[in-house]
Amino acid sequence: MKPEYQSGPLVWLGVIAGTCLMLFLFQQILWLVVPFLLALILYYALLPLKQRLVLAGFSHNLAATLVSLAVGALVVVALMVSLPWLTAEAAKWQESSARYLDGGLNLLMATLKKLETQFAVLARLRLSAELTQGISEFSEHFAQKHLAGALMTLAAWAPSLLLAPFVAFFMLRDGWRLKRFVGQSVPNAFFERTLYLLDQLDRTARLYFVGLLQLTLLDTLFLAAGLWLLGISAPLVLGLVTAVLAWVPYVGSIAGCLLVVLVAATDFPAQPQVAYGAVLLFLLVRLLDDFFFMPLTVGKSLNIHPLLTVLMIFIGGAVAGIAGLMLVLPVLGLAMVLGETLGRVVTDPRLRARHAHARRLREMEAAADL
Amino acid sequence: MVMFEFLRGRSSGADLRLSGTSLFSGLSRVELKTLEGFTHTRHYLPGEIIFDQGEEGQALYIVISGRVLICHPGEVESPIAELGPGSFFGELALLDDTPRSAQARAGTETELAALFRGDFERLMETHARIASRIALQLARNLGQRLRQAVSRPQEAT
Repeated sequence: MKPEYQSGPLVWLGVIAGTCLMLFLFQQILWLVVPFLLALILYYALLPLKQRLVLAGFSHNLAATLVSLAVGALVVVALMVSLPWLTAEAAKWQESSARYLDGGLNLLMATLKKLETQFAVLARLRLSAELTQGISEFSEHFAQKHLAGALMTLAAWAPSLLLAPFVAFFMLRDGWRLKRFVGQSVPNAFFERTLYLLDQLDRTARLYFVGLLQLTLLDTLFLAAGLWLLGISAPLVLGLVTAVLAWVPYVGSIAGCLLVVLVAATDFPAQPQVAYGAVLLFLLVRLLDDFFFMPLTVGKSLNIHPLLTVLMIFIGGAVAGIAGLMLVLPVLGLAMVLGETLGRVVTDPRLRARHAHARRLREMEAAADL
Repeated sequence: MVMFEFLRGRSSGADLRLSGTSLFSGLSRVELKTLEGFTHTRHYLPGEIIFDQGEEGQALYIVISGRVLICHPGEVESPIAELGPGSFFGELALLDDTPRSAQARAGTETELAALFRGDFERLMETHARIASRIALQLARNLGQRLRQAVSRPQEAT
């Protein structure tokens, strides 16, 4: 029996270079990549429902349509129920965001002043005064400088995000046809090996995205329970928002933590220990994530060495910024499978000989009556 | 459920190419149609190798049309078995990834349906009824072969 194939350093270099290239390209078409990614998450979440309908005797097209309509109806009902609350919140959005920002700044100032009274070095640096001046200058010109740009970005992204449900619908309806189409394009000699690895790719992606959803649910529940115990307002919404922000490695977690601290500092301006408690809660959930939840959910799917994972996250951030941080792991998983497939096929002389033989047979058949 | 029957997909005879295979004899029309979605169709020319002896097996093959020769490498003239439409081979690949015990080669122009182990495992997760019926037929087939293998030496003595 031949020894099992192991990817060599050349293949690994190719995988890393391919990942960087894909991230760079994806960054240029982020408006298309993000809805596609969201659609993939939706697709893998809804696929079991569609498969149940197919088993019940419905055609692929009809099963996909029924599942999509049911989910669409659910979303519409949820929106209709929450619309009054959303419009009320939107009206006081500006006021409440300014209030939460003030709350956070007050906490920061109070902490810095406390530190200045205890450490003479900090008092001499006049850190709190400098920071107050910097922040007031920034907030004074913030609206003129950034608001128009932010609104334009939001307006530009809205239509592309609406693509996600449409893409998910077509994936549900035609995904199996695509798989067959890809299978048919592979020559007979490479068919078994290539299809096996593509199957692994599909399995990895499914486990990754379903794992991501499970991880988000677990994070939401634990954060919401912790925030509720601390007495912070809207614990479930905050838990959900921070859990979704954590999809972006490192940066997302920090942003989520800042958000919770702002709310805690505003809800309890005289009790900074609540805000510190929120930070501790965040650290605890991060530890739970890294040691328990991640191995149970997402970790099962990507069989990547932890050191390579961390390195690639930094490389992803350097190549494509926040988008790179978010996309680097799934893209690395994809590049690994593609690299392994090519490595296995290209390095097997027997498979290449069989392919050459098959081509000769086809040429002979085509030229038989000439 | 009957009143929604018209909503279901049409199942024509062309969809049921797998119905003549003993491995799928316990499956209903709807189940066969579902199974079709998990298989890949391949076309081979006479003399083309389907898989090699010693190769890691990943798929079971069902002969839709044509003839397949099961032989040891270099012994095409004296095949171990010759399989026609409705037959299947490479079934051990559905159970584990042990190497193929012989070479499979197309004897004539051949159309095959391939069922991958990964897809069979997914079938077990999502359509357990279909997978268990296939597994039962597979076990019966393997048992039959085992009995034949045991009785052959006895007959010889």
